[in-house]
Amino acid sequence: MKKILTLTAAACLALAAAADNGTQPRDRDDNLLRAALKGWHVRLSAGFNVGGTTPLPLPREIRKIDKYSPTFNLAIEGNAHKRIDDSRWGIMVGIRLESKGMSTDATVKNYHMEAVNADGSGRIMGAWTGHVKTKVNNSYLTFPLLATYAINDRWSVAAGPYFSYMYNGSFTGEAYDGYIRDQNPTGEKAEVSRATYDFSSSLRHFHWGLQAGGEFKAYKHLCVFANLQWGLNGIFPSDFESVTFALYPVYGTLGFAYLF
Amino acid sequence: MRTKWFAAVAACLGLLTSCIKEEALNAECDITGVDSAWIARHRSILIGRPIVTNDHVAFNIQKGTDRTQLDPLFTLTPGARLTMRADGGEVTANGVMRDFSSPQVYTAHSEDGLWAKDYTVAFNYPQPISRCSFEHYELDPTGRYHVWYETDTADTDNPRRDYWASGNPGFALTGMGRTAADYPTTSYALGVKGNCVKLTTRDTGFFGQGVGMPIAAGNLFIGEFRTQYAMQFPRQATHFGMQLVGGRPLRLEGYYKYTAGPVFTDKDQNVRPELHDTCDIYAVLYEVDPSNFMSLNGDDVLTSDRIVSMARIDEPGEPADWTFFSEPFRPMNGKTFDEERLRADGYAIAVVMTSSRQGAYFEGAVGSTLYVDEIRIVWEGEE
Repeated sequence: MKKILTLTAAACLALAAAADNGTQPRDRDDNLLRAALKGWHVRLSAGFNVGGTTPLPLPREIRKIDKYSPTFNLAIEGNAHKRIDDSRWGIMVGIRLESKGMSTDATVKNYHMEAVNADGSGRIMGAWTGHVKTKVNNSYLTFPLLATYAINDRWSVAAGPYFSYMYNGSFTGEAYDGYIRDQNPTGEKAEVSRATYDFSSSLRHFHWGLQAGGEFKAYKHLCVFANLQWGLNGIFPSDFESVTFALYPVYGTLGFAYLF
Repeated sequence: MRTKWFAAVAACLGLLTSCIKEEALNAECDITGVDSAWIARHRSILIGRPIVTNDHVAFNIQKGTDRTQLDPLFTLTPGARLTMRADGGEVTANGVMRDFSSPQVYTAHSEDGLWAKDYTVAFNYPQPISRCSFEHYELDPTGRYHVWYETDTADTDNPRRDYWASGNPGFALTGMGRTAADYPTTSYALGVKGNCVKLTTRDTGFFGQGVGMPIAAGNLFIGEFRTQYAMQFPRQATHFGMQLVGGRPLRLEGYYKYTAGPVFTDKDQNVRPELHDTCDIYAVLYEVDPSNFMSLNGDDVLTSDRIVSMARIDEPGEPADWTFFSEPFRPMNGKTFDEERLRADGYAIAVVMTSSRQGAYFEGAVGSTLYVDEIRIVWEGEE
């Protein structure tokens, strides 16, 4: 997290400095650069991810979201964009350093849970009624591959798949003020004031999904953008038994980009 | 920009909350208790409180009471219903007159109709605790751990007496037991005579740690284990003692052997090299209010001012071979045994054994193993 903050600060400083220097000689340098890149335009962007890592649709066992906090998720990204034959269409590839996280506090009823002991010696299984706090904070290196379409000089849209490698992840929480029924709803009932869990080591490293969004070019070198990233594989492997439904990261990004 | 940001957050929140589905009907189907008005009406025949577990209900009744026509009324999970098998079908059963000469089965059905479980309901004439050889045991209804019971051979159609309880149902939640032998309390074939019980202090794995209970000592006791409280108030989950007193108790006798585990740890899993594990075997006679039975629990079983006398192996040591013990009941709190009180069901007795003396406080050594067999309470006049 600290690393990302430093990187982002550096990126912002660089962008600010670059925006100040929009003078004539610099433009000539840009032209040379553009020629060298054979039609590829480079951009740097920074933004925030806001969203949830959530089962879709919400299962019936989740009765209420009592609290939701989007947490502070930064995304910084470098892209290369190319228009195809001077048409409105283009392609954009990139590399993005981002975090996707949130914390929630939910009320659940008869929520099936399973967990396998770390040493494989046994398995906890039961139906939980009570509260569940979840805190997700995953850091990804993401590669978007987008098709772009310019509506006019200022507005354009982009969509396509993205592929992520999670290099650091945490999924922790606690079940509190409720009771578990051993095995299933007919099993022994035990009231629990607080039980913590940490499934960080079971998180999946490879993710992919679809991304779509639009941008508005406010100045020659600066645009603001918004997009939605819809995860298409769950954050846990499909054979992971502790959380029986898949949790998909669904996050929106808002940010700005500097266009070189 | 700012408004856009808020709009996006609102949209995401909307996404999360708008799709909360309609609440499902209850999936649970418990007998949660016995109707208090019914108990009040039957006060004169009942001894103590009915014991309600997850699969059976036991009423203790005065010897000689007619039990061929009783209509127990149970309280249930909201929406649940009780049926019984009659005339080849399922008919409603709660509050229905039945013949309890032998135990009767009730089936509880959940409100959503997807779950059901059977309860065995028995009306028992209590049999004072005497000789316990631990030959009668079976797997619990989920087939994972052992439970023990005594038998009253005089009650031919209803001999079973569920007097023994252990912490096994709590350990079951941890998922650490693969077989019944992995549980803290288990039957063992090589007893002094026939089978004995083997009590082992076990590691409770990450689930146990997550709830601050890193170990589970093997235990077996006369009374009731209330799994419901096991994780929140563990010492109040062990209800020690029943009104099974046959007279003035003189001695607690039996055979045991013990080995302490190598590493003593405390509640926070700190290794305490200066401490060594010890087992505990004791019996407590205490006074009860016959019209409002309250058992002793893990907090006060050794200290309550209701205790009349106690027999305990003070220094059990670590005998490697079967060792006979015979401990006298020593008076406590200046109390003397009163025959009058006995006739009014005013005494209860608990027999307790555990592989770690401080197990109730989650202090002990994983691997400490206690074997016990042929437990006997010697009542006055029996010698």
